[in-house]
Amino acid sequence: MLTYVGRRLLAAIPTLWGVATAVFIMARLLPGDPARVIAGINASQDQVDHLRRQLGLDQPLPVQYLDFLGGLVRLDLGTSAHFGDPVLAEIGSRLPYTAELALAALAVAVVLGMLGGVVAAQRRNTVVDVVISTVSVLGISMPTYWLGLMLIVLFAIQFRLLPAAGADSPESVVLPAVTLGLLSVGLIARMTRSSLLEVLGQDYVRTARAKGVSPARVVVAHGLRNALVPILTAIGLQLGSLMGGAVVTESVFGWPGVGRLLLDSIFSRDYPMVQGLVLLFAVTYIAVNLLVDLLYVVVDPRVRYA
Amino acid sequence: MRPHRWLGALVVACCLLAGCGSSANIGPTGKQTRLLTVAVGVDPDTLDPMRQTTTTVTNIVQMVVESLGRVDQTGKVQPNLATAWQESADAMSWTFTLRTGVTFSDGAPFDAAAVKANLDREMDPNNVCPSCSTLAKAVKSVDVIDPGHVRLTMAMPLAADVLLGLISLANFGMMSPRAIQKGTPQYAQQEQPVGTGPYMLKDRLKGDHVTVARNPTYWGRRPVYDEQLFKTVPDTATREALVRSGQAQMVLLPPISDLPSLQKDPTVKVLLAASDRTIYFAMDTADKTQPLLQNVQVRQALNYAVNRDAIIKSTLFGAAESMTAPMAPSIFGYCQVPNPYKYDPDQARSLLQRANASGLTISLVAPTGRYMQDWQAAQNVANDLRAVGVNVVGPRTLDWPSYIGTVVVPPVKASVDAHLLGYAPQYLDASTAMQILDPSLIPPRGLATAYYDNPTVTGLIQKALVEPNRDARAQEYCDAEKQAWNDAPWIFLWVQKFPIVYSAQVTGIGSVPNESFYTVYAQPA
Repeated sequence: MLTYVGRRLLAAIPTLWGVATAVFIMARLLPGDPARVIAGINASQDQVDHLRRQLGLDQPLPVQYLDFLGGLVRLDLGTSAHFGDPVLAEIGSRLPYTAELALAALAVAVVLGMLGGVVAAQRRNTVVDVVISTVSVLGISMPTYWLGLMLIVLFAIQFRLLPAAGADSPESVVLPAVTLGLLSVGLIARMTRSSLLEVLGQDYVRTARAKGVSPARVVVAHGLRNALVPILTAIGLQLGSLMGGAVVTESVFGWPGVGRLLLDSIFSRDYPMVQGLVLLFAVTYIAVNLLVDLLYVVVDPRVRYA
Repeated sequence: MRPHRWLGALVVACCLLAGCGSSANIGPTGKQTRLLTVAVGVDPDTLDPMRQTTTTVTNIVQMVVESLGRVDQTGKVQPNLATAWQESADAMSWTFTLRTGVTFSDGAPFDAAAVKANLDREMDPNNVCPSCSTLAKAVKSVDVIDPGHVRLTMAMPLAADVLLGLISLANFGMMSPRAIQKGTPQYAQQEQPVGTGPYMLKDRLKGDHVTVARNPTYWGRRPVYDEQLFKTVPDTATREALVRSGQAQMVLLPPISDLPSLQKDPTVKVLLAASDRTIYFAMDTADKTQPLLQNVQVRQALNYAVNRDAIIKSTLFGAAESMTAPMAPSIFGYCQVPNPYKYDPDQARSLLQRANASGLTISLVAPTGRYMQDWQAAQNVANDLRAVGVNVVGPRTLDWPSYIGTVVVPPVKASVDAHLLGYAPQYLDASTAMQILDPSLIPPRGLATAYYDNPTVTGLIQKALVEPNRDARAQEYCDAEKQAWNDAPWIFLWVQKFPIVYSAQVTGIGSVPNESFYTVYAQPA
């Protein structure tokens, strides 16, 4: 097992190198001069040129690339052109907020999604099933921006129950988490429903029912447990994309996470920050995928890794 | 328990959780004087006064760090950390008398040595100070005469309004010398400014907020609020929600289309503060591919074709005023031109015919979300031009960095016939306002993106830059403006207002016409 994990981690290195190279090239393909953007439109040309030298952008591209790779090997992501402080420090200060939001949204999505999926599977083809399926589709198709604003209008303005923006108080995470979570609820609900239905049609479930196992235990211990693998995959993918930063939600709720940081960095042509953030997302995705694959072993005893 | 019972229990639990939240930030603000919450749209990139490039961030920094002069709410420079100033007879040196009895919030005394330390730092060519180059080029040295007096020895003379305007900028703010010692990293970048201002920096969460707390040793009038919190809320609709729900007492720049309903809402007040930002379509007057634009009659025709008042009413919801000069009225040196290009499509058509330009084709480009309703207004302008027979290609739009990469280019690289820009001079003097009509600042050297070059105007501008007599100066600028207006290098549009919305339970909210708010002396109504 340990060798399996080791091999996966080794395989991650060329992937990350590819991502680093791709983002290095793509950032520089964007039109616009970072030195001009950061110095501001009122700055003189001398100031802009001076800043360009300070940012190292006057160096030839291969030199910039090698500097970048060299820094990566030392785990140094460079200095943010926009903020002036180390990229790692900037990301480090925002990451906990994105993690909090992602986990809260995932909790909402998993709890509501799996419950909904289980209910829908048990009451297949009834009104309840149709309602849950409709709500699922609505959840996936509803624009986050609109949903977020509607929740603000309802809970912040109308009922004055929850804060509309910011991350100061513990309950600030509720509205953004619900907004973000409702996107994934539909996906997880439908995945749970279809996976569970497939399992509940199996012979061993019939045997369990015939044996007299309580309905709840049939669904959970026998049904869900065996249906978990595809659901876990879906959850893992959702977590990966949630950690990627929910730009729209963070913008609507003023949530200080990495999604907004990436958007702002692209708009201010902060190359080191953009590179650092994209690499971070790649690392997160790889880590989450590895975690999910390892969880398969726990959930399904038939899975063995050489 | 059946699964749907769990679902029900969960919903109930959520409601209880929401209801049990602490109500410290929620609900009506009341008459408390502890905290004023202001929601702004940008996250401060830096709190170092020297590095400031964004007005809103500068606003916040100026509550902590003060400069020698201060721009008041009418745009005039008032004494601040300097109580008096004297220009020498030959205009080659300035002596500033410093306010006595002032200390920085860390206890260090404010004196001439502190002034020299700060100005030297800000004019140090190795430091990042995008707005410092004008003064750095004009000042030869900063000298301590005695603890209460500082002399600026000039390398070249500068008109009084120019020098005083510069010295009032946050970029030339005064921080405690202990906080900016040479040889320490803080000399290059100080993110925890220590100043002499009415407030001190309390805490900052990047991406979320900056909080300032009252400075107990401040030399001036004591502010009412113990603390002021500046929350970063990028979305306009969310900002509006904050002030409507009482979770913020003041917000900047609400959604413009909601201005009418906000003005009717009795729980909030709308302040359309005066601003110095002029909005215009700069035309490529050096356009080899469209020589018709080099004909002044054609450019004037395009000005007559635009129905500014209708656009201001329908698209900007009244939050602007038509331009009546190449600069905003709040700027020293402004004078109203005699012929403001009133909407006259017939005149436009006849001018175009006389210039043999009836088949004119021009391309337009505008940013989105950079200025008030910029994209929407650009489409209005395009339609007005089409109505007088001009073929308009576009308007196209780009994100901001790509936009300036496209329009702030030397004449040979220009690819669009007209581009929308909004220019807000940093200090309220015509010298900055006229920079964009100065051929020595044609890109890449500056922002004169219409490539306008009229030797008469240039001569007047250069004369006024060093003119010692204030009235003569104003007259020189007036002549320059009238000439530039007639030459019509731009399609002159409007002067934006700076909308601020605040709770009806608060009063004392002020503004400075360079897109700054002033909440230092806000108080409960």
